[in-house]
Amino acid sequence: TMSSESSKKRKPKVIRSDGAPAEGKRSRSDTEQAFEIEERRIQSCVHFMTLKKLNRLAHIRLKKGRDQTHEAKQKVDAYHLQLQNLLYEVMHLQKEITKCLEFKSKHEEIDLVTLEEFYTEAPPNISKAEITMGDPHQQTLARLDWELEQRKRLAEKYRECLSNKEKILKEIEVKKEYLSSLQPRLNSIMQASLPVQEYLFMPFDQAHKQYETARHLPPPLYVLFVQATAYGQACDKTLSVAIEGSVDEAKALFKPPEDSQDDESDSDAEEEQTTKRRRPTLGVQLDDKRKEMLKRHPLSVLLDLKCKDSSVLHLTFYYLMNLNIMTVKAKVTTTMELITPISAGDLLSPDSVLSCLYPGDHGKKTPNPANQYQFDKVGILSLRDYVLELGHPYLWVQKLGGLHFPKEQPQHTVMADHSQSASHMETTMKLLKTRVQSRLALHKQFASLEHGIVPVTSDCQCLFPAKVVSHLVKWVMIPHEDYMDLLFTKDIVEAGLAGDTNLYYLALIERGTAKLQAAVVLNPGYSSIPPIFRLCLNWKGEKTNSNDDNIRAMESEVNVCYKELCGPRPSYQLLTNQLQRLCVLLDVYLETESHDDSVEGPKEFPQEKMCLRLFRGPSRMKPFKYNHPQGFFSHR
Amino acid sequence: LETTLSPQAEVFEALQQLHMTVFSQSVSPCGKFLAAGNNYGQIAIFSLSAALSSEAKEESKKPMVTFHAHDGPVYSMVSTDRHLLSAGDGEVKGWLWAEILKKGCKELWRRQPPYRTSLEVPEINALLLIPKENSLILAGGDCQLHSMDLETGTFTRALRGHTDYIHCLALRERSPEVLSGGEDGAVRLWDLRTAKEVQTIEVYKHEECSRPHNGRWIGCLATDSDWMVCGGGPALTLWHLRSSTPTTVFPIRAPQKHVTFYQDLILSAGQGCYVNHWQLSGELKAQVPGSSPGLLSLSLNQQPAAPECKVLTAAGNSCRVDVFTNLGYRAFSLSF
Repeated sequence: TMSSESSKKRKPKVIRSDGAPAEGKRSRSDTEQAFEIEERRIQSCVHFMTLKKLNRLAHIRLKKGRDQTHEAKQKVDAYHLQLQNLLYEVMHLQKEITKCLEFKSKHEEIDLVTLEEFYTEAPPNISKAEITMGDPHQQTLARLDWELEQRKRLAEKYRECLSNKEKILKEIEVKKEYLSSLQPRLNSIMQASLPVQEYLFMPFDQAHKQYETARHLPPPLYVLFVQATAYGQACDKTLSVAIEGSVDEAKALFKPPEDSQDDESDSDAEEEQTTKRRRPTLGVQLDDKRKEMLKRHPLSVLLDLKCKDSSVLHLTFYYLMNLNIMTVKAKVTTTMELITPISAGDLLSPDSVLSCLYPGDHGKKTPNPANQYQFDKVGILSLRDYVLELGHPYLWVQKLGGLHFPKEQPQHTVMADHSQSASHMETTMKLLKTRVQSRLALHKQFASLEHGIVPVTSDCQCLFPAKVVSHLVKWVMIPHEDYMDLLFTKDIVEAGLAGDTNLYYLALIERGTAKLQAAVVLNPGYSSIPPIFRLCLNWKGEKTNSNDDNIRAMESEVNVCYKELCGPRPSYQLLTNQLQRLCVLLDVYLETESHDDSVEGPKEFPQEKMCLRLFRGPSRMKPFKYNHPQGFFSHR
Repeated sequence: LETTLSPQAEVFEALQQLHMTVFSQSVSPCGKFLAAGNNYGQIAIFSLSAALSSEAKEESKKPMVTFHAHDGPVYSMVSTDRHLLSAGDGEVKGWLWAEILKKGCKELWRRQPPYRTSLEVPEINALLLIPKENSLILAGGDCQLHSMDLETGTFTRALRGHTDYIHCLALRERSPEVLSGGEDGAVRLWDLRTAKEVQTIEVYKHEECSRPHNGRWIGCLATDSDWMVCGGGPALTLWHLRSSTPTTVFPIRAPQKHVTFYQDLILSAGQGCYVNHWQLSGELKAQVPGSSPGLLSLSLNQQPAAPECKVLTAAGNSCRVDVFTNLGYRAFSLSF
């Protein structure tokens, strides 16, 4: 570098010499000039030599200085490094210290017993009170010792208890085995005792079987079964309960879902095939849907009510699964074959024998309001069209099955309400019996009435005089529409007493030329609800209650004063007594008719009845009241 | 509080209503109430003012109170200025109008005239008030007219003459004389002071009005001092009393059970549902149908204290009392 520097200096020198300014003195000689130049050259070479030396010195000094600095710096660095190491170590040690200080010995997690307890409980060889009281370390050690001791003891106890438990479990197993082997032995005894049961009329086994079958009954039929059986056993020996139908079919209703799904898919596939071949008509599809909706549960409950005269009312109760209602079919059997008189057709027919057992309960409509929506889907107008086949859905039937359809909240159907069934059982059974017996009594009476004889029992003879001349010539049943068409029954119809649940009859009573027509309304609730009569007399003109006050009085005598004609309970004689009274009333009417002076000849009906007075009051009433035993007629 | 009736009780009540006959009516002295008596011995008090008011509801047409008054039918009733007198089976009872609306009202007094027979208690068909004497005339089943002093309750006279029971009574104010019509077909006039029969008209013997096929009984009677109108078995006829001659025979076939003079008309009712309005000349001015198939009593409310309740009421063979506000038509019916 020194050479390059010096060469650098040379160059300018050379250049400069070329470009040296021409000074003014040309008059000097060339030798003087050449001598000055040479002097100056030598001077400059010396100067250059000095410069180089100085430069060299400067470089050396600089280098020295740098080296010194470098050394010092290195020393400082080394110290710095040492310092950092030391600091690092200090930090590390501090961390370690804090770690140590924070160290929690496992022994501190153990809940040791309190000090007081420890001193009181631990035996002295462990607690070593003298040493441990003063020394916390020793104390802790002692306490840990005690803890260990206790735990060992408890572990020992635990092991003991476990083994005990095992032992007991084994014993239980053994006993269970024993008991389960007992069951088949008992069964065999039961089987063996069957002939003895039958011999002694104690069909426990039969009852047991029934209970087994009852388990498969749908809830409403089950409620009915349980309540009826209980009632029969407790209060009424004439009631017998049985279950009919196929248990297998009942079980089949509850197939497990996977099976049924497979079945469904299979049957769907089958159906598809058949529909491809031959499409069933829409009508047939609808018909099937209807049948499905009206399907009955395969099991039914039979109730047999025996009445006093050994006639039996057979009731079969069904459950319609999709409609959630119960229905009943009724049949009456008697010990002797009944010959049904023409007018008695409807009395005991299965369709009407139980109609209006409770007032208004005609059993032609479904009691479940939700059913209407279901019916609309499959085009059923009303259950009325199906009652012959399915049975009647009377309200009392639902109640006996614990079913309740509250009007205010139609969505909250009450099911399986045992208390409702129990509370209605007794009244209903009694009403059923009364109904059958009153119908049978009427049946018998109608047979006699059709022959023109009004049957009056001996205990009712006192209601009538000995001699009754007017007689019954006709007794027929008439349809409801015919009753409505009669002119003299209008006020009964207007009063709402002639609904379509009643039975209607026409009686004809005659004496001489007088003909008395009586139109009768027989309420299903006979005999607690009396028959209602309306009269039309054809004799010297047509007389009804609108133009003859005495005809009105005669009607009053049988309709309003019916309680006298009830006879001894259960009052099945009411209708026949009313008819007999009508005959007596006609006698009185005809015999007390005042003689018309303008007409010649004797009266058609001479007065034979003993009367105190013939007419009374503003309406000129005839003496219709018969007095027993004196036998005369008076006014009310 | 309404209690629901058992079905038997419901049917029985319906039958009772169907076979009810309202025999008698009487207006209260204040003119606002109407008493009606029926064949079951009950008396019902209706509020005419309530039923006629513009806010009348269905309940206003029902009785305010109904009570059992007699054992037999209530055939006749009259009102004094404070009392209601009702006649039932053989006895007459007095009730206080002021107390009658209270429940459990009991009669003030009851009297039975001295009867001849004891076998059967005769009915009382007609009551007649004699204001001047403050006495009451009773007549009915025992064929006699009994006179009872209203102050003391004693029976002062018994007028005999009828041969069969008496249907109706009328008062001839001027004389004063009482007219009675009976089952024996005769109308008899009695002088109260002498207690003697002064005139007898045997209606059935007169060809113009007799109708033998109906019988000879006189069911109704009314008098206007010089004139008398009566009917029943025979035709409804207007008589001139002094000469005992029938002047007008009213052309109606049905036997009439009640007749009364009103202004210049004669109103009558009987078998058939009509109230007949007759001119004195015998012409039928109007025939207004009521709601019962036969009518037995008419009542005109002419009490000065209640001019707004001036109505004609008609009752008979039903449980209803028809109210005619304007004589020309039936406005509505009250009902037991």
